[in-house]
Amino acid sequence: MKGSLIISAGLHALLIGFALSSFSSPRTLEVADVEALPVDIVPVESITQIQQGDKKAPLAEKSAPTPTQRPDPVQDAENVGENKVDLSNKAPKPAEREIVAEAPPKPAEKPVPTPEPDPEPQPDPKPVEEAAPAPQPEPQPKPEPVAEPKPEAPAETEVAALPPEPDPLAEAIENAPEEPAFEQLPTAGPVPSARPKPETPKPQPTETAETKSEKPAEKKQEKSSASSAKDSDFNADEIAALLNKDEAKGGGAKRSTETASLGGSKTTRGETLSLSEMDALRGQIQKYWNIIPGMADGEDVRVVVKMRLDQTGNIIGNPEVTATGGSAGTRSTLAGSAKRAVLRAQPYQLPADKYAAWSEVIVNFDPSQMF
Amino acid sequence: MPRLSQIVFLMAAMFMAFAARPAFAVVEIDINKANVEPLPIAITDFQSNDDLGAKVSGVVEADLKRSGLFAPVNRAAFIEKIANPDQTPRFPDWTAINAQALVTGRVVQEADGRLRAEYRLWDTFANQQLAGEQFFTRPENWRRVAHIIADAIYERLTGEKGYFDSRVVFVSETGPKNARQKQLAIMDQDGANVRMLTSGNDIVLTPRFSPNRQEITYMSFEGGQPRVYLLQLETGQRELVGNFPGMTFSPRFSPDGQRIIMSLQEGGNANIYAMDLRSRATTRLTDTAAIDTSPSYSPDSQQIVFESDRGGRQQLYKMNADGSNQQRISFGDGSYSTPVWSPRGDLIAFTKQSGGKFSIGVMRPDGSGERILTTGFHNEGPTWAPNGRVLMFFRQPAGAGGPQIYSIDLTGYNEQQVQTPGYASDPAWSPLLE
Repeated sequence: MKGSLIISAGLHALLIGFALSSFSSPRTLEVADVEALPVDIVPVESITQIQQGDKKAPLAEKSAPTPTQRPDPVQDAENVGENKVDLSNKAPKPAEREIVAEAPPKPAEKPVPTPEPDPEPQPDPKPVEEAAPAPQPEPQPKPEPVAEPKPEAPAETEVAALPPEPDPLAEAIENAPEEPAFEQLPTAGPVPSARPKPETPKPQPTETAETKSEKPAEKKQEKSSASSAKDSDFNADEIAALLNKDEAKGGGAKRSTETASLGGSKTTRGETLSLSEMDALRGQIQKYWNIIPGMADGEDVRVVVKMRLDQTGNIIGNPEVTATGGSAGTRSTLAGSAKRAVLRAQPYQLPADKYAAWSEVIVNFDPSQMF
Repeated sequence: MPRLSQIVFLMAAMFMAFAARPAFAVVEIDINKANVEPLPIAITDFQSNDDLGAKVSGVVEADLKRSGLFAPVNRAAFIEKIANPDQTPRFPDWTAINAQALVTGRVVQEADGRLRAEYRLWDTFANQQLAGEQFFTRPENWRRVAHIIADAIYERLTGEKGYFDSRVVFVSETGPKNARQKQLAIMDQDGANVRMLTSGNDIVLTPRFSPNRQEITYMSFEGGQPRVYLLQLETGQRELVGNFPGMTFSPRFSPDGQRIIMSLQEGGNANIYAMDLRSRATTRLTDTAAIDTSPSYSPDSQQIVFESDRGGRQQLYKMNADGSNQQRISFGDGSYSTPVWSPRGDLIAFTKQSGGKFSIGVMRPDGSGERILTTGFHNEGPTWAPNGRVLMFFRQPAGAGGPQIYSIDLTGYNEQQVQTPGYASDPAWSPLLE
């Protein structure tokens, strides 16, 4: 009896202990952490037919890139490149203009044109002096090369100093001393003649213009001296490219004057009409398709009209009408009504930038539901 | 191992394959809805030395307008005055007033007394002439010429034969209701040129036109007994059709005009007989203990539709031309009577009596697609225009007054009263005149 009691108590204790250890409180049900995923429903056209625009600009009816500024028309550079013929003829013209332009800021330089033949030294010192005082650190080293050529060809240095204003002079003077290389020199000539142009706008801000305008002058001195040094492997084009200080012209084919609006970075090649544009076209023709109800075999007739459109949405030439099925009379009647419909519906209102897509339109007229 | 040049070639070929897509896509759209509205047409006064030109073009305009398919543009809106109908008109002047078609013409009295009428039909949007013809006739026939011109325009623009150069035979009713005098009369389909064909001494009913001759068959109570007669319009000659003991009624010609099909009373019943007009041989087509009447041939003469009360009330039945294969085709509420097969063959017109009202309707020859065109107190006796496009019927108003003839388009639109001198009933449309 006692033994069984002990066994029973032991077993119970074991059972309770097991239950305590194994039947713990149920785990709380974990709710999966679901994050709402924002989804935009985007029509395919927004990818396949995206138009160039500005990504930061607001949405507008028509996307457009940031407006480009039409660069000021630059006069044709004369004597540029390897053209040797009209060098002597046309070179003087720009020179005169430039002198006039620069005249106001630098009254001292005015005498330059007149001294052409005789007073060469006069212009020479002035630019050097001016360059030296104003931008002391930079210009100083540069004038040095100017000085170097001087001994070699004194005439050239004078010319080099002049170039900002009277380029032709430089050429003329250059030509004079270097008789043997006469033919090659003129090719160097065009470079300076084309160059002065960028300088003409600069004189307007008078103070800075002086310092800036001198830089090209200095470079020119270098170049001219260099060119004179090695006549053999001289490439006028390379030098022209190096000397070209024109800013890159903005725009080309992608020029835009419209205010920027949302769009892609470039126009993707999606030259198909969107569904809504097709619907609009359909509605436009449907509005004018007039048929006579109750024709005996009207539902058997199908009419296909092919037409070519010009950029303004008008039909070019005569639309090509093909009718099939039904009796001859019904066919010709429905063909006539379809032709009238497409003729009356013009001009078609279609997006001009997708002209390639709708330059040719085929319209299938199906009257079967009308009878 | 492939050489470099081969690889380059392969890549170039692949590039070409992808790059060679057509640069100019063609837009293709399907249009399956259209507007159903009358075609705006400008009909100018035909040029002539007298008022006949204006009269002819007036008739043309009235014909086209009455068809419901054309909307003549008001002449006050015309910009260009047509001085010479042979010259190409200034189309922009006509498209500006939205005239999609333009009719010009001229009426000239020739030296030999004949009348020369010519017209030109222009498509103003396609900038081209659609049709142009000239006709010679006697001056008193100017109305017919006008109808013929209207038919030509109608046919060119709708693709269906016209019906303007046709006539309608009807029963003209005069006098008080209790002593109504009924005369057989004939008129142009527009209500002009009414002419009485019988004296009015005897009651006449159900006149029918021959499809290819100037002949009319009708029922007359002449001699006390209703009989079917045949009348030559040109000569006025009249003859009894068949020599049957009982009364004969509801006659109608076969499409070739060689036979007359009608009902013959046999006791309390009536059966359908066909009689060959040349041999005068009669053929019995139905043999039932019921009233079979109002037979009408299909345009191909292969089938006959008729009404019969063999099922208890009047319904429409169809059988082969030899009387075989009789089958019922109408299954709607009410009773159906006076079936007429369309000259086009695609529809059967009928009178339907239901709910105390009479309707004119159409159904397909197999009985499907029933469509009611008009409903009223009493509408009856439909008859088809020669092109199967328009129906005429007569309408008896409730209370006082008498019947009048109306026309209605197959679509149920454009219901119009046809002007007759007095009351009129039982219209029957002629084929196109020759």
